[in-house]
Amino acid sequence: MTIKNRDSFLDNLAGQLGRKRNTKGVERPKWSINPQHRVLKDATQDELVEVLETQCKEIHTDFISTDKKGLADALEEFIDKYHGKSIVSAGGPRINEFGLAQLYEKMAADGKDIHLWDEEKGEENKVFAEHADIGITFSDITLAESGTVTLFNDKYNGRSISLLPQSYIAIIPKSTIVPRMTQATEKIHQQHQNGQLVSSCVSFVTGPSNSADIEMKLIVGVHGPVAASYVVVEDA
Amino acid sequence: MTCFLMFMEVNVLKVSFFITCMCDIITPEVGKHAVELLERLGCEVDFPVAQTCCGQPAFNSGYLEDAKESMKQMMRAFKDSEYVVGPSGSCVGMLREYPKVFKDDPEWEQPAKELAAKAYELTQFIVDVLDVEDVGARFHGRVTYHPSCHMTRILGVKEAPLKLLKNVKDLNLIELPIKEDCCGFGGTFAVKNSIISGEMVKEKSKHVSETRAEYLVGGDMACLLNIGGRMQREGKYVEIKHIVEILNSH
Amino acid sequence: MGIKISYKPYNERVKEGVDNSFMQQAVASAQGRFRSGRQNRADELGDWEDWRTLGEEIRTHTLQNIDYYLQELSENVVKRGGNVFFAETKEEANAYIQEVVRKKNAKKVVKSKSMVTEEIGMNEAIEAAGAEIVESDLGEWILQLDNDPPSHIVAPSIHKNKEQIQKTFAEKKGYTGTDKPEELGLFAREQLREEFLDADIGITGCNFAVAESGAVTFVTNEGNARMVTSLPDTQITVMGLERVVPTWEELDVLVSLLTRAAVGQKLTSYVTSITGTRLEGETDGPEEYHLVIVDNGRSKILGSEFQSALHCIRCAACINVCPVYRHVGGHAYGSIYPGPIGAVLTPLLDGYEDHKELPYASSLCGACTEVCPVKIPLHEQLIRHRQIIVEDEGMSPVSERIAMKGFAKWGASPAAYKMSAAAARPALKPFSRHETIKNGPGPLKDWTVNRDFPLPAKQTFRSWFQKR
Repeated sequence: MTIKNRDSFLDNLAGQLGRKRNTKGVERPKWSINPQHRVLKDATQDELVEVLETQCKEIHTDFISTDKKGLADALEEFIDKYHGKSIVSAGGPRINEFGLAQLYEKMAADGKDIHLWDEEKGEENKVFAEHADIGITFSDITLAESGTVTLFNDKYNGRSISLLPQSYIAIIPKSTIVPRMTQATEKIHQQHQNGQLVSSCVSFVTGPSNSADIEMKLIVGVHGPVAASYVVVEDA
Repeated sequence: MTCFLMFMEVNVLKVSFFITCMCDIITPEVGKHAVELLERLGCEVDFPVAQTCCGQPAFNSGYLEDAKESMKQMMRAFKDSEYVVGPSGSCVGMLREYPKVFKDDPEWEQPAKELAAKAYELTQFIVDVLDVEDVGARFHGRVTYHPSCHMTRILGVKEAPLKLLKNVKDLNLIELPIKEDCCGFGGTFAVKNSIISGEMVKEKSKHVSETRAEYLVGGDMACLLNIGGRMQREGKYVEIKHIVEILNSH
Repeated sequence: MGIKISYKPYNERVKEGVDNSFMQQAVASAQGRFRSGRQNRADELGDWEDWRTLGEEIRTHTLQNIDYYLQELSENVVKRGGNVFFAETKEEANAYIQEVVRKKNAKKVVKSKSMVTEEIGMNEAIEAAGAEIVESDLGEWILQLDNDPPSHIVAPSIHKNKEQIQKTFAEKKGYTGTDKPEELGLFAREQLREEFLDADIGITGCNFAVAESGAVTFVTNEGNARMVTSLPDTQITVMGLERVVPTWEELDVLVSLLTRAAVGQKLTSYVTSITGTRLEGETDGPEEYHLVIVDNGRSKILGSEFQSALHCIRCAACINVCPVYRHVGGHAYGSIYPGPIGAVLTPLLDGYEDHKELPYASSLCGACTEVCPVKIPLHEQLIRHRQIIVEDEGMSPVSERIAMKGFAKWGASPAAYKMSAAAARPALKPFSRHETIKNGPGPLKDWTVNRDFPLPAKQTFRSWFQKR
């Protein structure tokens, strides 16, 4: 781990600014105005779900709201819709918490190829994800305004799960829904201040992949998933 | 008319008229209508003959020092004026930029600030200073309005001309498509980059035609001469009118 | 390729642009969509001006303390297992990247869309180091196959139509399908998926780097930056030195401004922040990470009257509202940075000599300044460039200089003004018919190429006023 050429480079910048290098003690000022805090400021959790649902139409994403009991059915419905035979899912404690372990067992018994992301499996994780029909992850923080799921990628939740398969399903615990990106970045900032390690990859995912590079016509699914759906689960 | 008369009795505003070099030489009727209108609205209008050009042609071309010569003359000419009012968003916009141009100039910074503070575009003056939105005008015809760039973006006057036009009786105002787009005039741009300027004015001309308006109205004569000159070249009939010509019709 | 993309003279480039009616139509329609998208996103917030104010404040503060924030950034990247290289020139940046390529014995490098790597001509450097480089942004990939430079900083292949793209795919990649965008897109997906899986090194640009934690952020819709940062084992991020933000909280504001101003989206499909190398137990993401911070002329802008040009977050809102850009297209600017921001930045980064026409390629309508999400006074900076070209560089035409000296005398003397005002009509009378000039002399000649000009009035206003 190296840093090269830093001093001459930064000395030059300071010189251009007409002063000596500032190596410590720069404080962020209090910004004169903070419009980002006004967005959906007083919305209730149910109102945020509504905002999220409406935004899903804009971003070509299927939406369903259910409770823990209904989760298995909802997932199966989407898996059928996407003709899912092989499925890669994030692992970790929430698999049991939301009863997914049983569902996956049942689906495996029905002949589906299920792969739980696991550090022990090493390179195989990526290889499976590359050929999977569907990737499933939980959302860590969900942004109602933009219809975005925030993923703190880690050893249970590889970057590839929400990226490489043909379709993507995000399970959104209702309590994770916040007004907008502001609350997510604030939380990351706080965690960092408290000495917690920021995830090596924070992915803000908003619907399926798309491009308008050919005559400004929308093409859905260029490098990432071609289809995406969100399942909001009551978890209070 | 009663309200105007009352206005006159209590508060006679002294206005120094800033004609702009273009209206002075090419379209003096704009100035005549403006003077008549201001007088009808109760102002006492004078014309300081020492005024020349706001300096914009040189300033926008990068000739700062040459531009300043003209600007200083303008500050001298309007030194004793109470209000300076002109029929152009662009030229008045230039006067308002003087404090930036003469920033830290020991002799001219103060006069620049003084002139900028009392300079108004005509419709801006009528609406913001005289507090009048209905000048009692009547004009029959299909009219479309081009909001010139410097009027709206440099001077920040967007609403005043429309407020006044909406109160003109019998006037049928039709929205110009992509109205906020530049007509391609841009001062010396029209000459230095005549190919691009030509493309821009062709597009504007097309949009004006689409409105089927009989009259193209605006607050900057240079833009109107540009668009009108193009439409005339294309054999399209539309009459260009400075907004003051409409406001002074009855 | 570098910042300069053409050796043709300016006038020729402009002529090619205005004669290319397909390109003009494509650009006009794209501008229309970008503009309404941006406007809708601004309007729905209801306090867009407050957002711009905050954006400007953040950028101003960060640039004033850029040395501090870059130091903090570099320390945090190293803490997370990365290497940081500060490159003063494009040569230094390329040499460092070449060294990584050689050390890894890389055969294939895949990259996501990035303006700074275009600016430093990185692709050629990587090829010189013996590796193949593959663009993975759909638009950039099309251009790479065609050996064509980008013409827009967000939508690089805006000037090409689907028939041209179909032909390129057929000739270069054996494509046999139709010209339907979806089918072309699917073909690109399949082709590029293989490239991602094969690549030894992934390279991205950087939209924003968060100083407090060392995270670099990529904003895309296609997901190519996610691919590039998830699959290859070695990852290089190349960033212009001005791309830093103090904390995650400012990242939120600038990303929000960027996606709304650029493409009229609340957020793009993917906003991805990666920090250093993969952590223990993780099975994707890079095992080796390099951050290359590039100056390449930026430091000269710092502390100058053009400093706010470094506020730019590359949203292209100024390009999307520019009527000049609409008619000439991106290639006419002769720079990878076209439009108003290109006309401001290019002479600063690459000198006036090759780009002295660019500051004049604007009617100074101010549409750019009005939409800029971080409040760069673009049209004022263009005027300032013109002043430097005229007064410091002495690059303006002699005839123009003489004319402007005349203007100064005329404007400073009411007597001279009055005399010439009265003389204008008689002087122009011979060129007129029915009070109209169709083929004028001197500067009027260029005017009357495209439109008529009225003969000056019989009596000037001042003469009328004095006699009334």
